[in-house]
Amino acid sequence: MSKQQSEVPYGTLDLLILRVLEAMGPLHGYAVARRIEQVSGDALQLSQGSVHPALIRLEQEGWIRTDWGVSETNRKVKFYSLTKAGKKQLAVEVANWEKATALVARFLEALR
Amino acid sequence: MTVRRALERFAALARRRRLDRELENEILAHLELAERDAMARGLSPEEARRAARLSFGGIEQIKEAHRDRRSFRWIEALLSDLRYGIASMLRTPGFTAVVAGVLALGTGANVAMFSVADAVLLKPIPFERADRIVRVWEAPRPGVENATSTPDFLDWRRLGGTVFDALSAEQPIAAALTGKDGATRLAGKAVTADYFRVFVAKTQLGRTFRPEDDSPGAAPVIVLSHAAWQSEFGGDPSILHRHPILDGVAHEVLGVLAPGAFDRGETKFWKPLVFTPDQQVRDIHWLTVFGRLQGGLSVAQAGERMQAIYDALAETRPADTRNWKIAIVPLARLLVGAGLERSIAVALGAVALVLLIACANTVNLLLAKAASRGRELAVRAALGASRGRLVAQLLTESMVLCLLGGAAGIAVARLLIGAARPMLATSLPFTAEVNLDLRVLSFAGAIALGTALAAGVFPALRASLGDVAGTLNRAGRGLSGAHAGLRRAIVTGEVAVSLVLVCGALLLLRSLLKIEELETGVRVENVMTMSVDLPEGAYPTPERAAIFYDAVARRLSTAPGVSHAGLSTQLPLRWISNGEGILIPGIRQQIMVRFKRVDPGYFGTLGIAVLAGRGITPRDRDGAGRVMVINQALAARLADVGHMKDPLGKVVRVSTPGYREKRVFLPEVEIVGLIRSERVASPGQPEPPVVYVPLAQAPSPELKLLVRTGAGAASVMPAIREAIRDVDPALPLGDVATMEQVRDATLAGSRRPAGLIGAFAGVAVLLAVIGLYGVLSHTVTLERREIGIRMALGARASDVLLSVLRNGLSMVAVGLVPGLAGAFALTRVMKNLLFEVSPLDPSVLAAACASMVVIGLVAGFVPALRAARLDPVETLREEG
Repeated sequence: MSKQQSEVPYGTLDLLILRVLEAMGPLHGYAVARRIEQVSGDALQLSQGSVHPALIRLEQEGWIRTDWGVSETNRKVKFYSLTKAGKKQLAVEVANWEKATALVARFLEALR
Repeated sequence: MTVRRALERFAALARRRRLDRELENEILAHLELAERDAMARGLSPEEARRAARLSFGGIEQIKEAHRDRRSFRWIEALLSDLRYGIASMLRTPGFTAVVAGVLALGTGANVAMFSVADAVLLKPIPFERADRIVRVWEAPRPGVENATSTPDFLDWRRLGGTVFDALSAEQPIAAALTGKDGATRLAGKAVTADYFRVFVAKTQLGRTFRPEDDSPGAAPVIVLSHAAWQSEFGGDPSILHRHPILDGVAHEVLGVLAPGAFDRGETKFWKPLVFTPDQQVRDIHWLTVFGRLQGGLSVAQAGERMQAIYDALAETRPADTRNWKIAIVPLARLLVGAGLERSIAVALGAVALVLLIACANTVNLLLAKAASRGRELAVRAALGASRGRLVAQLLTESMVLCLLGGAAGIAVARLLIGAARPMLATSLPFTAEVNLDLRVLSFAGAIALGTALAAGVFPALRASLGDVAGTLNRAGRGLSGAHAGLRRAIVTGEVAVSLVLVCGALLLLRSLLKIEELETGVRVENVMTMSVDLPEGAYPTPERAAIFYDAVARRLSTAPGVSHAGLSTQLPLRWISNGEGILIPGIRQQIMVRFKRVDPGYFGTLGIAVLAGRGITPRDRDGAGRVMVINQALAARLADVGHMKDPLGKVVRVSTPGYREKRVFLPEVEIVGLIRSERVASPGQPEPPVVYVPLAQAPSPELKLLVRTGAGAASVMPAIREAIRDVDPALPLGDVATMEQVRDATLAGSRRPAGLIGAFAGVAVLLAVIGLYGVLSHTVTLERREIGIRMALGARASDVLLSVLRNGLSMVAVGLVPGLAGAFALTRVMKNLLFEVSPLDPSVLAAACASMVVIGLVAGFVPALRAARLDPVETLREEG
């Protein structure tokens, strides 16, 4: 493999999932995983399966909700979509992320 | 973690099966979609499936992570262990029943005993600030306590303001309550008005006494206990206006107490104690005095201050009482004497030993089970179960067992308490309420968990420590070898502890037999006893009382079924509380005696032998020469102190109490007879000197009636009641009891611990048998092969039988040594509970050892027989 792959930064999978759901509307688990891979240009090394435990956690927090739908393979699956609380949480996480990256950027800049 | 998520995770516990299904479905869908996309990219179906799996990651890991995320992992593990534990319990119902039964016996005995100890020793006495309530005695000598005279009490009350918030005097009384169908006898107390300021009690209706209620000339009033209000007046809400007739006089009911401790006592009503002029004398000690100490004052300080007051008053008292001391005893100490406390402590110790044995048994059984499960555990360990998980699983299983045993134990305790309630009611103070309350139940829970940990940890650690490969290689023989020594050690310990208990029980049994053999000196069979109290209104004078005695004797002699009848002021075999003195002409020292007034029928009714001279006859009446009969103890005292070799015909002065008035006469009395001592003291106490004076010459309104009947004493009661009704229809009979019951009550103090500890020893022995049997039969199972080989090589069945039995007996024999040492050390605490038996009685020790050997034989016999019947061919072919 020529492309440099990096793991998902710790704690950002939630952010990625929420962001994907905000952008794309209701998706099932596979689509969420696939979308994350696509957007990252396959630069992320993500076990697609790991979105499932993340999804259950987000659902328990009340940030996403599930509806039953039918997949392209005609199987009854869960479709996840963002809730109002999820939207708020996304904004918070985005802000946190930006703050953190800005801080790190400034730090790197200052000590160059 | 947010609260919401925590709740969600708990909720997920309940739906974990559905959630697992859903996850499965999601993963399948995920893989299908991934496969489809991969095929769309041009991969073959085979390659597409592989690619999908690859990009998904480890399916099992994801599932685990999912479970971790959605709920609490350890709870899920616990639940699955519980399920597994219950399933394994159900798979081996025999084992489960034995362990649960063993634990139920151990826990049940402990819970029952704890509830008694809790009620008597731990729970607060159910009176407001009961630690402040004390009894005030006069002590002529250290350790001897005496009642108080009226003037002394009044002085103390007047001067004791710096010691007591309230001081009250009381005297037990009984009254005839006139009801719709005849009269009933009610036990009560005459008390000074401050009584309910000492024993603070809430009222349900009305009020308790006010200071003016006990002043001379006050209207007749009473306060009723809640129990009496219910039983005698059907809880009549208008009782305060009903004016019940007591001893022929209408009394106003001032109030009814709220339900409480008093309902378990004997006292049904309280009446103001109004002192009459004749009671105001210093040389008649008759009052029981209780006080409520002022806040902050210790018992010792109160004692000092009262002593100072008492000494300052010395001049007012008769010369021979001036150097007496004051003794102040807290109520708690009065209610729970040192004897009861010791009995309870010994019984608690005994049940703790039973629990220890039950625990040891459980450990043993669990070890046996773990041994036979060695392979299963090794397989699980090989498949990746961590040691922690294995320990947790085994512990959960023993926890399930112990909780089951604990629950059964609570049921056992309920049964025990229910069965023992009548006995408890008579042997515990009335303030003690024995029940399975929350405290007792939490104690039971603590015991169950404690045994689960104590009995479970060790086998769990042992089992999980096993070497996996070794265990799997050793095939069916499991971890048995490693446990054998340990299990033998445990059984040996059990034998030792059981031996201690058996020794204790046998000692008590021997003491009990001694008491049973004890010569009471009275005939007990077919004798009924009852109380009669002559009310002052109808029997104001001694002459009226004497007429009553005659009439009763005459009427009863013709009653059907009655063969003898007698009257006395005290029950036979009961302690005589009032002491009087004898003065011998020419001798200064007074002989202290117990004073009993009896009618001519008394000695005959109880079969008391007259050894010399004569008994009391109908001619010994008022006006005839005063006579008395003495017991052997008094004859010995007279010979000793009075130098009277032959007392018959001698004349002495005897202090004689009056009929109702508090006065003492000192008439000259001739000694006319000597009887064989009837027992008055409880076992272990020396017999006191007793004088028997004719009732007719020294009448008393408080009487005990004794009636000897043909067979079936109780069936003659209606005839007796009718006879008394003929003499005086307003007179109720109280305290009806057979002479057997009276004797039992006298001996009870020495008897009860025997029954109790005997029962515990029985349980302990049973548990030891189970333990021995378990180990031996397990050994036989494990050594099947070896036995088979030996038999194939020519060992006879009897050799095998003997070797198994020898094995069992050797464990017992080894256990006897520490057991005897324990018995030497521990039975000493029972010294005070034993009557004429040494704690180191050799015959008891020998019998206990012998019984343990028998136990070894009994427990070994079945496994031995099983071993002897093994078919060598079959066992060798089994190739476990």
